[in-house]
Amino acid sequence: MGALDYVLAGVAAVFLGPEMFSLFGLPVSLALAMVVLGFLTGILVGATPGLGGPMAMAISLPILISLFGYSADALLPVMGFLIGVMKGATVGGAVPAILFNTPGTADAFMTTLDGYPMTQRGQARKALKVAHVSSAAGDTFSDIVLIVCAPFLAIMIERFLDLPEKTALLLLSLSFIATVVGGSAGKGLIATGLGLLAAFVGTGEDFYPRLSFGTEALSQGFGPAAVFLGVLIVGELFRGIEDLWREKARSGQVTQYDLSGDQSLGWADLRRLAPHIGRSALIGTAIGALPGIGSSLAATLGYTVAKARHKPGAGDPKMGEGAPEGVAATEAANSAVSGANLIPVLSLGIPGNVAAVFLILAAESIGGFTPGPSVFRFTETAVNPELVIAFGLFTMMMLANLMNWTVGGVFMRSLGFLVRVPRQLLLPVVLLLTLTSIYVETPRFEVILFTLGFGVLGYLMRRVGMSPLPFVIAYILGGRLEETARQAFAATGADPFFLFNRPVALALMVLALLVIVWSVRPKGEAS
Amino acid sequence: MNNFVKAAAAAMALTASTIGAAAQDWTPPGPIKLMIAFAAGGGADTQARLIAEDLEAELGWNFIPEQVTGKGGLNLAMAIKDEPADGTVIGMVVAETLGYNMYVAEAGVTPEDFTAITTTAGFQMGIVARAEKGWTDFADVLAAAKGGEAIRFGTMSDKLSDLAYLLGRENGTEFNIVQVRGGRDVLNGVNAGDMDLGFMAGIQTAGVASGELVNLASALSTPLEQTPDAPMMSAFGVDYNADGYFMFIGPAGMPDAVRAALARAIEGVVTRDGSKSNGMITKAFGGPAVLQGEVLDGFLAAEWAAAEALLAEASQ
Amino acid sequence: MQFSRDRGLALVALVLGLAVALVWVPLDSASGILEQSRRRVSVGDAAAPTLAALFIIIGALLLWIERVSDEVSALTWRNAVYLLWLTGVLGLALALMWGLGPLAARLWGAGEYRLLRDTAPWSQIGFLCGGTAMVAGLVGLVDGRLSGRGLALGLVSTMVLIALYDLPFDDILLPPNGDY
Repeated sequence: MGALDYVLAGVAAVFLGPEMFSLFGLPVSLALAMVVLGFLTGILVGATPGLGGPMAMAISLPILISLFGYSADALLPVMGFLIGVMKGATVGGAVPAILFNTPGTADAFMTTLDGYPMTQRGQARKALKVAHVSSAAGDTFSDIVLIVCAPFLAIMIERFLDLPEKTALLLLSLSFIATVVGGSAGKGLIATGLGLLAAFVGTGEDFYPRLSFGTEALSQGFGPAAVFLGVLIVGELFRGIEDLWREKARSGQVTQYDLSGDQSLGWADLRRLAPHIGRSALIGTAIGALPGIGSSLAATLGYTVAKARHKPGAGDPKMGEGAPEGVAATEAANSAVSGANLIPVLSLGIPGNVAAVFLILAAESIGGFTPGPSVFRFTETAVNPELVIAFGLFTMMMLANLMNWTVGGVFMRSLGFLVRVPRQLLLPVVLLLTLTSIYVETPRFEVILFTLGFGVLGYLMRRVGMSPLPFVIAYILGGRLEETARQAFAATGADPFFLFNRPVALALMVLALLVIVWSVRPKGEAS
Repeated sequence: MNNFVKAAAAAMALTASTIGAAAQDWTPPGPIKLMIAFAAGGGADTQARLIAEDLEAELGWNFIPEQVTGKGGLNLAMAIKDEPADGTVIGMVVAETLGYNMYVAEAGVTPEDFTAITTTAGFQMGIVARAEKGWTDFADVLAAAKGGEAIRFGTMSDKLSDLAYLLGRENGTEFNIVQVRGGRDVLNGVNAGDMDLGFMAGIQTAGVASGELVNLASALSTPLEQTPDAPMMSAFGVDYNADGYFMFIGPAGMPDAVRAALARAIEGVVTRDGSKSNGMITKAFGGPAVLQGEVLDGFLAAEWAAAEALLAEASQ
Repeated sequence: MQFSRDRGLALVALVLGLAVALVWVPLDSASGILEQSRRRVSVGDAAAPTLAALFIIIGALLLWIERVSDEVSALTWRNAVYLLWLTGVLGLALALMWGLGPLAARLWGAGEYRLLRDTAPWSQIGFLCGGTAMVAGLVGLVDGRLSGRGLALGLVSTMVLIALYDLPFDDILLPPNGDY
């Protein structure tokens, strides 16, 4: 099969896969329907304060697996739903930020800076339209970069990197993520070490399950669902519940502003916003392509650069006082992260953000698709099914973008009411839902206890200002790192210095060291 | 309500199928926990789940599958050992779990601590390389190794690593043996060029058919079905084999009637043309291979003895 | 130089990292860092966890010398009180979830719970009560008192979960039924 045949097979797998129902005589495939459902769900949870894309992905995964089973046919519908959620939540996140000044996520915070002042001036609808167009544009651009880049990068990696170099690359990724995410390299490295440690409990090659204290419960290790959902979701819930517990006397009152003036978004507006959207899309994509640097930094950078470039005319609002340019720059930047973030996942198997973590979890749970360089083998005679799935994923991403351009805006503008869902009722239900979902997938009671334990860990990490993302990524890469290192050691004929006596591996190791040294340079003189 | 529907379905299945008649004398007293020693989504896992589905459809039994992976099936063995032996807990492993893996782990258990119920399918274990290497059989590999080339030999279990070591030693050379977790990892390693050749247990079939991969030798006691001309390991001075089967086991002390009923029921679905599991096994593992009762016990006893001999041989 | 809260964290991490590397890993893994097994030298089971400990130790040392932003978050006794409450509520709810089903089956003489674990209503008693207690307890924790609102919400959400998982799927078990 040639490259083009693979692309076509991927598209066909989405549209001509198992049929769900037919619409006007045309069959609608499961995968297609799941993308649509996921996208709408994503907007819904994105627009609900206290929920977010990752949480929805985490909870829906076990339900989806129960529905679709573990067959190869399950991959596209399940991943389609998750991709839909990921994209929908990105758009939906702007709703509470703009309408009620309550950013659901860190990257939506920058949206409030100009979005909420626009609402106060009676321009809420227009602000939402600006957010929608910018977000959809950034997202689409980023996906195109992903689709063009990932296969080539993967092929290069596979061709030029041998086992020792792959080991060194994993170490470099870990040190990079540790030092870049969150403000502190020290905390990042501690979190990375803890994540690796969690990955190594109960695993290993010997018959005795290491680090298990001889107990049955620890002998199978912690399992990815308990670690991911515990640290990322339950930890966040514990923190949210504590915040509510401390401010018991919450009024729950939300101020409403009426609309006034012209709400339409015309060509003149778009022409004015276009340079900001384009610049931010580039910034977001570039940042997203590096593993571990999240959308918050992209949003901040996009906004800051736009602010420097913005020259308001007479009577136009300045940035920070309700300028549509601010909303556009922020939303385009943070939305452009999501597509590019999958570049390291698909080409290296290294996740860069939480959404990617859940896509990997889905692939691991169902089986039959291992994100990483081996996906992009364009075999001529025998079909490489993983490559077909990869192009199926790309197709579904573009489908979700199409949804975003068409119905996304209308749907998101209808969701303002969600801000009134009381969080003290929402969070406990989400906790029960999370624990039940985990048990359904791994029916062992100790997994619930592990999840709660990792929840407490995630809570503590948040309280001491340690980002949980390096922890989770280290957990994912830990098993791979050990296996690759073992293989490299064996393949080089038990050479203990395999990381240092080959030029490429050595260069990657030096780079890993430099990243750490650079990150602890005295901050005063560098910035 | 579910149970009623299932009972009705079972009643219909009983009248329609011949397997029903055989298994009629025993019905499980509750849902059956099906432990699976393989990662979700792989060929082995799919096989176990499809057999359960077929049994549910034909007999109305209820299976609850659960993954208990790791340590070559020993995690599952240790977990199932103390479960009730009334047929409500069974597990799918490979024969090697109760053979070499258990012997070498010195875990304080022997095959006597388990009830072997039935095998379902065998492996087409071959020694495989990419065609572009230019090797046509294992003798070419040995020639390359003796010519000074460092050869990386991928394996997926301790036993296979020992066999790879013996294949080198008996021919006056040494391989860099790279042991990974499973057959897919060997395939990926060979495809990526991280390994030069490796053991593959059926996953190579499509690649060999298309000409991308070559079966250099059979690792079985018999020739490979796909490439009967490939030499056997005995041609290279190694008199051990990697014959292996997928196998259902239960805890020790399972009543004979229960063991026989389970074995017959499983045999019934995997050998019946048109069942889901039969289709899958035929496609992925070259058709069902059923050993039960005394034949199976004899096979396992021989494997245990062979493990002891292989280990002694490879330790020299 | 003042002893900042981050330095406290660094100290804790340093002790933890050293304990992992020098005590836990050596005592609790079956092979060393490099292992001579039969005729091959291979990477042992202790190697990877030792690397993990190394990350923690290096992180702790960096955190000690690092000067980070002023907005230091830290743990206070109020966090501990909250965690105690949380543990209490969750512990109680999970105990109910774990034990009520078998208890009910024994009291009513319905037989061995293991064989009833996918038979309604026995299989749902524990989850229904435990789940309701969890939701109602946490809502009550925030509100400062137990309320009918929390109980109703708990009951409805557990019933929705039962409808979502237990009714449509035969081979799925609600907690705690997979353990029996």
